[in-house]
Formats: sequence, structure tokens, C-alpha cells
Amino acid sequence: MSDEPAASAPVPPPAAGEPRWERLHPVTPVLRSWRVLVVLLVLYGQERGRSAASGQDLPGHVEVLVAAAALVGCVVVAVALSALSWRATRFTVDDEAVRLNSGVVAKRQRVARLDRLQAVDVVQPLVARLLGFAELRVEVAGGAGSQVKLAYLREADAQRLRNLLLARSAGLAFEGDAAPEAPEEQLVEVPFGRVAGSVALSGAMVALLVVLAGVVVSVVVTGEVGVLFGAAAPLVGLLGGLWTALSKGANWRVAASPDGLRLRSGLLESRTQTVPPGRVQAVRLSQPLLWRLFGWWRVQVNVAGFAGEGSEAASASTLLPVASAAEARAVLSLVLPALEADLAATQGPAGLAAGLSGTSAEGGWLVAPRSARWVDPVSWRRSGALVTEGALLVRRGRLRRELDVVPHERTQSLLVAQGPLQRRLGLASLALHSTSGPVSPRAEHLALADATALLDEQATRARAARAAAGPERWMERPGA
Amino acid sequence: MDSPFDLPDVRWTPVSGRLVTARRIVSGAGMLALGVLGAGAAVLLPSSWWFLAAAAWVALLGWQLWLAGRQVRAIGYAEREEDLLVRRGILFRSLSVVPYGRMQYVDVSAGPLERWLGIATVQLHTASASSDATIPGLVPQEASRLRDRLSRRGESRLAGL
Repeated sequence: MSDEPAASAPVPPPAAGEPRWERLHPVTPVLRSWRVLVVLLVLYGQERGRSAASGQDLPGHVEVLVAAAALVGCVVVAVALSALSWRATRFTVDDEAVRLNSGVVAKRQRVARLDRLQAVDVVQPLVARLLGFAELRVEVAGGAGSQVKLAYLREADAQRLRNLLLARSAGLAFEGDAAPEAPEEQLVEVPFGRVAGSVALSGAMVALLVVLAGVVVSVVVTGEVGVLFGAAAPLVGLLGGLWTALSKGANWRVAASPDGLRLRSGLLESRTQTVPPGRVQAVRLSQPLLWRLFGWWRVQVNVAGFAGEGSEAASASTLLPVASAAEARAVLSLVLPALEADLAATQGPAGLAAGLSGTSAEGGWLVAPRSARWVDPVSWRRSGALVTEGALLVRRGRLRRELDVVPHERTQSLLVAQGPLQRRLGLASLALHSTSGPVSPRAEHLALADATALLDEQATRARAARAAAGPERWMERPGA
Repeated sequence: MDSPFDLPDVRWTPVSGRLVTARRIVSGAGMLALGVLGAGAAVLLPSSWWFLAAAAWVALLGWQLWLAGRQVRAIGYAEREEDLLVRRGILFRSLSVVPYGRMQYVDVSAGPLERWLGIATVQLHTASASSDATIPGLVPQEASRLRDRLSRRGESRLAGL
């Protein structure tokens, strides 16, 4: 992305004294309101369709005119309300924080400290993308709804603002108004065919086929077409889920830059996400049963601030929707740079493989004792934990394989739990608590003594690692 | 009570016996409501089976009262140099370790029943939603002492996320 002349930048020069408050782009109210038009049109269409189906006449001129007038009225009101909100919204960025003032009736001022910044996203929904606008989202650790959303800006302005935020957050010294864009090196590009394949081999696809087969069989057996209508809702739901997975996973690219991982994705809505170094709290590699045919893995992370918000949070915490083992490993070693050397030291050439697919204690894995087969007959052999210099690895699952990695300094708290059956067998499970997200590591059915010993040691290790952790401004770390 | 979760050199502090009373009142009230409903039904639909139901009710009530005592005795906490340990449960046991340095905030809460009995609940929150460090049934002095101590320790070991 080439930078445009700094004259049109919304980013003010760091003026002495008063901060310069900026407005969002004036097109914002229109971009935000066009959905109202679509929703109204769809509702009207549905209503017309229903009355046409029940044998009523087609609409007359008067009705069409009234409907059109109502539609225009609604859209005008929506745009006007949105414009009021736009007028009340201002933002500014200084050395310490990004500030956003908003609200027409109830005023709100939000200040997000840049050294607590967890990720910066540039999101372009389809229409905004076609018109060259983008939304900037600044994630800070604070649970659901804690992000600062700046929608909409010109695409180039959004990029420039992102560079500025990242540079200031990193503690990078730079000359002039515009922060330089960090150089990036593309690591992985997921081919579309593989994304399509991964969707085709997913559990949702299997469910879809089962439902379809059920519908076909019942239509043939009963001769009633009515079954189709009953099955329509689950079918639409499943298809919608598959479409979301496909469109979010398409064009997935991962690049490395000094600002951290840069993820780009999306078929219609495009999204560029930057996760600075040291923001990843935990990593999960998982492999659904059917993906084993091709050796594919999914890589997910916990990043504070991506909490909640359903599918949006789910896609935000995905590093790679589907990757080969080598790509997954490359991204893993970028997120946790020390891991590979650690593993090589303790595991020898086997390295990560024992965690991904191993079923034995080979390489120093702490595994579930044989008595665990009574509580988990299928995958007790897989259940295990491994401590390395910098992280704790937890593996589980025979059919759907999973491997969780939590750096010692990112462990929040630990829990040993024991149910009545486990107690009889002398077993206990160890859970590591990380920030909210898809990764919730739990080593199931370890021997009780092993679990409590690991709990105690891990508490000590986590403390030592935390004491040695670097500052939040990553460019100020030694060696950065 | 001897627990298989005992770590070396850890002295567990039990919680106040008043929590037993609180839990017995809560479960007793629930059982009473059930008993009243049952009695009403027995008047409307007389049957000799109700004697069996009454016996079951008495047994359940006795079991709950007994269980409350055991459960409360199973709760314990220990303040170590760098972290707080909390253990609980009889059938489903758990032991959690929460480092002071990971603490984000501390809650002290007391409902009407707890206030009447003079106890409070202290809860330690980390950045993880699943961290489980709730200590119920503390007498107010102990609760405020623990709160102050935890927040002091948390402050001195603040390390962001």
C-alpha cells in the first residue's frame, strides 16, 4: 500500500498543546444506513410474495407509490439519525492513547491506552470496500465491547492511522506525521481449493448431508413434499454456516512484520488484522477427523479483547482456518519464537509431532495412567502434558486431535479437579486458565500425584517467567 | 479433613461455621416449599403413597442438612507467598491456584442472609473468566483483611496481562 501525500491525512501532526479532534468520513451515515433499505425491501418482498401466493391481486399503482414513499421516508430518517451520530463523533490520537467521543443524547468518551493495545483490525464490508472505505477497530483487553471502532474512514487513511497506532503502541520513534508502514514478509497463503476442501470435510457438511439424505428418504417413502418445508430451516442454517466458513476463510494470508502477525482474509468482506508480538495468550492446533486425510490443521489463539461477540470473535481468534502441518508450525514458531528450540532440546527430532499425533510418553510427555481407560476408553492414550522451558503443552483427542500451547508467563491461574470416578481410579484433571477465547487447555485424567505436582511446579514456573517478561511496548524490548 | 490435594507446607484456613447455617437455611427453605406443595397435594388427593413420599422428603432434608456441613468443612484457602490457594468439594473436588500478580480486581459481597449471619464472600478476578477463586463464608473482619491484603499483593506484583 503506497502512502498518499500527508496533506489529506486525518492524522494530525502531534501539535503542541490542544489535541486536534478529527471527524469520521462524511459518507459514514449513508454507508451505515443502506442496510435499512435492504431490510425493508426484503420485508416488503416477503409480504408481497405471501399475499401473491395466497392468490391476491398484484399491487396497484397506488400501493407501489405509497410503499416507495414509505421506503424513502424510512431511509431518510435513518440517514438523518446516523448523521446526527456522525456529527457527535470525534476522535484523536496522541502519544499515549486513542480517544473517541460519541453519543448524541448520552455522551460517551472512551480513552484506550496504546500500550494496552491488543490488536488492530481494518475491516471492509462489501459496499464500503467497493467504494474505498474501511473501518478501523482497535482492540484493548477488556472483554466484549471494549474495542474502539472508527467507521468509516478512507481506506488509505485507515491504513495510515493503523500504522500510526502500531508505531506509537510499539514505542517506535519516527520522524514527521506519518508513521512508516512496517515491512512485511508473506509466510502463508491458503489456496482457495483447500479452504473449500476444509469446509467440505467439516462436521457441518456431514450434518448437511445427513439432513439431506433424511429428507430425500422421507420424501420418497411418504410421497409427501411437505417434509421439505420442515427441513428448510435447519438446511438454511447449515448452509449459512458453511458459507460463512468459506467466505471468511477465502484469500487467507499470513504475513510477518515487526508489528506482529498480519492476517488478511475475506471473500466479500475483507479484513486485515494485526496482532502485535506478545499479545497471544494461548494457541490451539486442532484437526477434525476428516482433515486427517490431507494432514490439515486449524490454528486458533486467545487474544485478550476478542472475547464474546459470537462468530466475529471466532473468526478474529483464528490464525489459520486450514493449514498444512508445516505452515501451522511456521506460524506457531512466529507466535511463540522460543517454542521450536525448546522442543528440539527436550524432544529431539520428533519435535512437535508427538504433541500433534503422539499417543505415548515418548519424549517426556506426562501421560494418563492405564487406569484412565475406564473413564476415557477412546482417547486416554492421547491425553497428556509436556513442560518445556517456555511453555506448557497439552494434547488430547483421538478422533479430533488437539494440541494447546500456553507460554508460562501467560498462565492466569490453575485448577486441579477430580470427580467421583476419577477419585476411585486415582486420577485428576489439570486445567490452565487463559483469557477468554477458543483455547481452554485441560490435561485430562492424569495420575493425581502428577496433577498436583504439576500444578505446584507450574505456579512457580509461571511466576518466574512473568518476572522475566519484557515490556508491553514491543520495540523497546532488548533485541527487538 | 484429610484431602488428597494437600500440597507440602500448606496450612489451610477453614471458613466460618456460620456458612453451614446459611446453606442449611437456604436448602431448608427450598425443602419447606416442596413440603408445603406436597402436603397440599396430599390433602387434595388422599393416598397411602404419600407416607412414602413424606419419608423420602425427611430423608432428603436430613441428607441436605448433613451435606451442607460437610461441604462447608471441605472449603479451605491458603495464602502463600505468591499465590492464593482455594479448595472445595467432596464428590467433585477442586483445587485452584491464583497468583496475586494475575489479579485484576477483588470483590467482597454479602447478600441479606449472609449479612444477617455476619459473613461475606471474597472473590478474586483475573483476566480469565474461568479462574475460580471464590471464598464464601468469611467473617467481615477476615473478609476485609483478606481483601486489603490481596489488593496490596496484587498491586506490588502488577504485570499487565
